[in-house]
Amino acid sequence: MSDIVLSVTGLTKTYHDHSEQSLILKDLSLQVEEHEFVCLLGPSGCGKTTFLRCIAGFEGYEGSIKINGSERKGPKNDVMMVFQDFNQLFPWKTVEKNVQYPLKLSGIRNAGELKAHSDRALSEVRLNGYEHYYPHQLSGGMKQRVAIAKAFCLKPRMILMDEPFAALDAMTRRDLQKQILELYNKEHCTVLFVTHNIQEALILGTRTIVLQKEGRIVLDEPNLLKKPVTPADPDYGTVWKKLESAIYMEGDR
Amino acid sequence: MSRTFKDRSFGILVKIIFVALLLIAWELIAKSGIMGKRSALIFPPLESIGAAFIRNFTVGYANRSMWVYIGNSMRFMLTGLGIGILLAFLFSGLCMISRIVYHIYQLMISVFDLLPGIALLPVVIVIFGVSPGVIIFLVVHAVLWPMSRNVLDGFQAVPLIYVEAGRNMGLSGLGLLFGVYLPAAVSYILSGLKVAWARAWRGLLSAEMIFGIASSPGLGLYINQMRTSLNTAEMYATLLVIILIGVIVQYGLLEPIEKHTAGKWGMKR
Repeated sequence: MSDIVLSVTGLTKTYHDHSEQSLILKDLSLQVEEHEFVCLLGPSGCGKTTFLRCIAGFEGYEGSIKINGSERKGPKNDVMMVFQDFNQLFPWKTVEKNVQYPLKLSGIRNAGELKAHSDRALSEVRLNGYEHYYPHQLSGGMKQRVAIAKAFCLKPRMILMDEPFAALDAMTRRDLQKQILELYNKEHCTVLFVTHNIQEALILGTRTIVLQKEGRIVLDEPNLLKKPVTPADPDYGTVWKKLESAIYMEGDR
Repeated sequence: MSRTFKDRSFGILVKIIFVALLLIAWELIAKSGIMGKRSALIFPPLESIGAAFIRNFTVGYANRSMWVYIGNSMRFMLTGLGIGILLAFLFSGLCMISRIVYHIYQLMISVFDLLPGIALLPVVIVIFGVSPGVIIFLVVHAVLWPMSRNVLDGFQAVPLIYVEAGRNMGLSGLGLLFGVYLPAAVSYILSGLKVAWARAWRGLLSAEMIFGIASSPGLGLYINQMRTSLNTAEMYATLLVIILIGVIVQYGLLEPIEKHTAGKWGMKR
């Protein structure tokens, strides 16, 4: 059996806004094993992003979140987050420096070593030649590729992705899905990927989880479709329908 | 030819024509004697001002060339500016760490930014005595509050995503301040620097005019001496020096810094 990378037990998250309080996650528990690519689906407001933010250490919570057996107290670079927002790169750093910065903070000081790491990561996302560009000189898709390269480059225990391709056009999204799969297979990392797109979850994931209101898990099963996944797969339609009914089960169609 | 280049050339041409027209108007008024007996005092001809400009540097006043006065003023200015900027960063940084400091400092900015430096002069003289410390204090006062206001506004305006991206990499405390907040607030900091420089320059000259130190005379004292001796051409020539220094700092220092930071990083249109 593989090692457990993420272990969540009884996670509850409440937001307090003046006199009101809203319960976003209630008693959520799940485990993620090493090298799993877990896709989280669910209707808007079901707590997917909050769940990721709790794991990343950006939010306080009740319950327990353990990464490799140790309780998560705050943000740490063993869990890297790729945000939906294109503007997650630092505009004052070049593409190369953006990728190198977390490496530098993790203790790598040698310029040659940093360069080798960033060159490799940028070539994985096909951005060779853009090392000295600033983020404002890149398209949205290119910025997301840099963010992905930055996250993978550090070889974290887990990568969290919050709808990173949501605002991209279909062609760029397909390209990036392909690149992320290549990286995932090469780097043997563990990924928790939030998406609204059933097709994306089927193409990328090795496991699919559907959340409903207050983070209730209504479906959690391995994605057994043969990779690379195409709609021509005889089971594709059945799995797609199953996920769709789980997402829209509460009439949010 | 790019549109930007055309716009820029057009802008420069308009400015040159405007200045040339102003100079022609000045010279016409000077020659016409329209102001009566005081005409030569109020509108000395351009050639007199030009000659006075050269005389200021070659002969100067009280055996001191204009360079000495400029040197003294710049020394006070840079000392005060440096201390003011350092304090602004220090206090604004502390505000990001402690909410108590933040609230107290916000109150101090609101109160002291409204207090003209010149109004503080009597109190400051009592504290420092008749010394360059008075002028430096007034420059610090002129710089600290607007600079702090801008640095704090800049910190508050840093997009949350940069802060979270920084924290995600393991940055916290001072690391987050230097690694994220300062570079992300660069546009605000530069705009604060421009305001601070302008206020400090004005504050310095006013202080020197009211309270010039004979042992370290500056440009403000020079103008005042020229006024009392009715050397109006020299007075205008000194104003020209003050304007020139302002323009050099604005276009030769502050704008290039902005171009090579916020401009290069796409943080300013």
